[in-house]
Amino acid sequence: MVKFAHRLSGVIAFTVVAALSFSGCTKKVDDKDTTLTVPLVVNLKGLDPIQADDLYSNMVVRNVFEGLYEYHYLKRPFTLQPALAESMPEVTDNGLTVTIKLKKGIKFQDNACFPDGKGREVVADDFVYSFRRLADPKSISNGFWIFDGKIKGLNAWIDAVKTGKADYKTPIEGLQAPDKHTLVIKLVQPYYQLNYVLAMGFASVVPREAIEKYGAEFINNPVGTGPYMLEKASDWIRNSKITLKKNPNWRGQTYPSEGEPSDQAAGLLADAGKALPFADTLVFTEMIEDQPRWQNFMKGNLDFAVIPNDNYDSAIKDNKVLPELTAKGLSLDNSTAVEITYIGFNLKDPLLGKNKDLRRALSLAIDPESYIKTFDNGRGIPAQSPLPPGLEGYDPDFKNPWVQFNVAKAKEMLAKAGFPDGKGLPEFTLESLSSAKDRQIDQYFASLWSAIGVKIKSSSNTWPQFQEKIKRNEAQIFPFAWGADYPDPQNFLQLFYSKNFSPGPNDTRFSNPEFDKLYEKSLTLPSGTERTELYKKMRDIVVEENPWIFLRTRKEYRFFHAWVGNFKWNHIENAMFKYIKVDPKKRAELKGKL
Amino acid sequence: MTVATANASTVAVPSSRNSLWWDAFRRLKRSRIAVISFVVIVAYVVIALLAKFGVIFADVSVPVGAQYLPFSGDHPFGTDVLGRDVLGRAIHGAATALSVGFIASGIALLIGITLGALAGYFGGWVDNLIVWLYTTVDSIPYILLIPSLTFVLGRGLINVYIAVGVTSWVTLCRLIRGEFMKHKGRDYVLAAEVLGASHLRRIFRHILPNVAHLGFVQFGLGFVSAIKIEVILSYLGVGVDPSTPSWGIMLDDAKLELARPFWGNLIAATLFMFFLILAFNLFNDALRESLDPKLKNK
Amino acid sequence: MIPILLGVTLLTFVLFNMLMKDPASRFAGRHATVEQLATIRAELGLDRSLPEQYFLFLKQIVTLEFGRSWSTKQKISTMIDDGFSATLCVTVPPFIAAIFVSIALAMATAYRRGSWFDKSMVVACLAFLSVSSLVYILALQWGLAYKLGWFPISGWDPSWTGRWSYLILPWIILFVLSLGVDILLYRSVILDESYQDYVRTARAKGLSGVQVYSRHILKNALIPIITNVVIEMPFLITGSVLVENFFSIPGLGGLLVKALNESDLPVIKAMTVIISIAYMVFNLVADLLYSAADPRVRLG
Repeated sequence: MVKFAHRLSGVIAFTVVAALSFSGCTKKVDDKDTTLTVPLVVNLKGLDPIQADDLYSNMVVRNVFEGLYEYHYLKRPFTLQPALAESMPEVTDNGLTVTIKLKKGIKFQDNACFPDGKGREVVADDFVYSFRRLADPKSISNGFWIFDGKIKGLNAWIDAVKTGKADYKTPIEGLQAPDKHTLVIKLVQPYYQLNYVLAMGFASVVPREAIEKYGAEFINNPVGTGPYMLEKASDWIRNSKITLKKNPNWRGQTYPSEGEPSDQAAGLLADAGKALPFADTLVFTEMIEDQPRWQNFMKGNLDFAVIPNDNYDSAIKDNKVLPELTAKGLSLDNSTAVEITYIGFNLKDPLLGKNKDLRRALSLAIDPESYIKTFDNGRGIPAQSPLPPGLEGYDPDFKNPWVQFNVAKAKEMLAKAGFPDGKGLPEFTLESLSSAKDRQIDQYFASLWSAIGVKIKSSSNTWPQFQEKIKRNEAQIFPFAWGADYPDPQNFLQLFYSKNFSPGPNDTRFSNPEFDKLYEKSLTLPSGTERTELYKKMRDIVVEENPWIFLRTRKEYRFFHAWVGNFKWNHIENAMFKYIKVDPKKRAELKGKL
Repeated sequence: MTVATANASTVAVPSSRNSLWWDAFRRLKRSRIAVISFVVIVAYVVIALLAKFGVIFADVSVPVGAQYLPFSGDHPFGTDVLGRDVLGRAIHGAATALSVGFIASGIALLIGITLGALAGYFGGWVDNLIVWLYTTVDSIPYILLIPSLTFVLGRGLINVYIAVGVTSWVTLCRLIRGEFMKHKGRDYVLAAEVLGASHLRRIFRHILPNVAHLGFVQFGLGFVSAIKIEVILSYLGVGVDPSTPSWGIMLDDAKLELARPFWGNLIAATLFMFFLILAFNLFNDALRESLDPKLKNK
Repeated sequence: MIPILLGVTLLTFVLFNMLMKDPASRFAGRHATVEQLATIRAELGLDRSLPEQYFLFLKQIVTLEFGRSWSTKQKISTMIDDGFSATLCVTVPPFIAAIFVSIALAMATAYRRGSWFDKSMVVACLAFLSVSSLVYILALQWGLAYKLGWFPISGWDPSWTGRWSYLILPWIILFVLSLGVDILLYRSVILDESYQDYVRTARAKGLSGVQVYSRHILKNALIPIITNVVIEMPFLITGSVLVENFFSIPGLGGLLVKALNESDLPVIKAMTVIISIAYMVFNLVADLLYSAADPRVRLG
């Protein structure tokens, strides 16, 4: 027994010593390493740009793949600039023909899929191929909507592919490459959002050789033209982290020299004219839980992080960063998302659909201010209309009469709707997601509605179940959000166009002939005051009809360390890491003290 | 009190049919721990019922103040994210937990003992069938089986009873079967067979009392695990209806609040859970000892 | 084994195919059209009859080719392969340690039954198992890793030499988590044995208490102990979701919960079948151990 105890204590001592010697914090920080480490909040799925339909996949994928256009890093409102295209497109034929010249000498990343392993030049045919691939029914990409019904002959090609009557060799009238560096897109009708969708990840260029070599495994063997590349497949440790290395073949670009007026003071123009990218290596680490992610950030293992709701009070007071954090060299980037959170009503519901006063009563019972205070630490703007802050037609002084917390008025509307104090109203079902936070939000809505006598049953779903119910028009009342695909309010207004009924994006099945007419007209107009006026008219119809309860637009607070430079978050394109700079000396000096 | 019962029991010796349980009851009453634990359990039941019928903490769904108020005399565990009294929610959670524990482990106990006894005792094809049944059920990890059952049945308290009940009998069934296999060859059972005892008599009168404590221990453990499963179900979002106060939901909320720091939900739910489980286990232990026939002469 | 496997597949198929009425809608995204939905249904084989779909499922099991995840589009066999070694590295060491330590402690408590040591052990075990695992994780991660810096906060290194530093803290947590339950259960099993006649005989022979416990009681208590160990074994594969999520360990537990949350039917089905097969193997081993531990148990 004594002998055993002795042996046991030996084992324990060994374990402790081993543990201490293994512990990572004693490691010296390399003062030449310019690696930028970025947290991912969900697990990365794959690296195929036509499958990267969530924010976090996009955040990684867009460093490897590029398209014809991209967003300017600093300018707001969001502005496009050429990426692989040489210049902005030339539009002729009353907006029906779009001609795009490509930059010459752009090379794909080196990869075994090419003969001799060297990346070949990108030509216009590669775009035709990539767009066909997006449209191909076999790809099952949900990004095809960007071209759906817009390009001449493309939808007919899809139908022919389905029946085996066409393949990638069959010509498409609307997608042509008359020479190596010219792409001509012929449209069914003018498509003024085309430039924007060409800047989306779905429209990235991919080499045919890679798809043919890797097939479905392309998701693990990405080959693009971007500033970073996946050097070897083993650099991606799935569900843990992915390491991207600088692409030696990259076209090259310099840091912008102009931006918003405030950028100069913020030091965001100091590196103007310097060669991109700054960081040699990008590491994305997947950290699902808030607390370890924040702790890793505070220890300097992550270069920036969104502050979790629950750590907010320990970092920020009265909208100011607390001195103990500024002393550590932490700075704050505060940006407003381009999105609207709302509660949708199913307008095909016999009760909700026909009774505008009922919808208004439900809206008046909700308090967006307290919602933002309770669930966002006050980081948000109450939403008033389908036009979000930062986009064309947004008016900060516009007040939606039904977005105000007014129980008395809500009760009055409820009585006017025919249900005084909720008498005679059946129980409504609130469909939502099953996370802890969504559950709390449900309870919050339910308690506000019960104050005016409306009873709510909440039903929680997984994300696919939730989508399914909405697509099938089976959800009665559902909290949801729309984030901008591109910075044109049309992206939000389409949610009310009657030809977009669910399973399309119009998930309330809102239908208003007047709105439809205005919407169709707005599609034929380029940006300008005439179109903005139409957008405002559409806004007024939506506000009047109340298919949504408008809730809020989030503000996001990101902290970054003193050694991180040029940090400015972009809510339309979140993969802007080629612009961010890490000062390795400063990191080596400061990190040990954290 | 102890003396009085001891006297009473020496006077009124009940029929042999009841003597085992009567003795057990007598011993149980002598054990101070058992009495205290029983009082605690009864207190939980009473408080839960009072809350359920609105005598105390009638409506805990309405806010009583700002969110995350600190602990105070009025709100011993503060208020939660929506400004609701945490203590009140913990008490209502007790009602939920007790009902999940009792009903779900009750269902499991019934299925487990019956099937385990039949399988272990009869062997042969009965055993094969029951082993097939429980191996099939058990081969699907509960973390998959229970959520999928509640997915199919829908969210809600009754469905949690059923889902937990019909999936958690396997452990007990296995143990009972193993014990029956062990016991059926023992001398006392063989002796009973020689004396002409029927199968049912041998199962229920002879073997079951020797293995019944496993059922009680398992009931206690099952009770605990039912509460814990409810927590897991809440984490997956398939547990009780969100409007039903539950410790599982409180702990799930706590995940978002610990860094704040607001520990009200965690501390309240944990304390309520701990004392209930403690009482249950101690009572179980005492019950087990008092029921064990081999301890009779001690 | 085959009948059980059939039972498992049937149950899985019925449950999960009932889960979603129209799994295609998840692929279409928010800009979907009715036409696209139909195309996707056809691409996924969801427009076939149920018996046909079940038959295809069986075929996948026989060929061990489960296809690709609906959610990540990754090969399911690769996904499971990736998660396997991480999960086993996290779960096996604390599992084995907990078995031995809890048997030893259970013996000690049972031996000194009714003493203060016994009583305080029981209360401590119950306290251990009442406290949500979340508390251990948050407290130890914050204290030992963040504040004291003894361990990395979270992370993973797939190399065999690099991964240990990330494992120690999860091991401690899982070890502590299983201790409470195990000690209580084993204590009751050992106590039960200590009342048997053979114990009295052994004592009568003049064996000391420690000898009786270590030679006779432990040997007889092995069957219920093995039973319990086998019951806990699927946990080795499913792992602990919370531990995996908090420590960013790319294991199977996280994979499973994600698959459930995303209604990723091909992954759920594959995992269920694989775990079931593994479990059946454990059971076979357990049966062999039963008969080794107690010659009276014949292999049926």
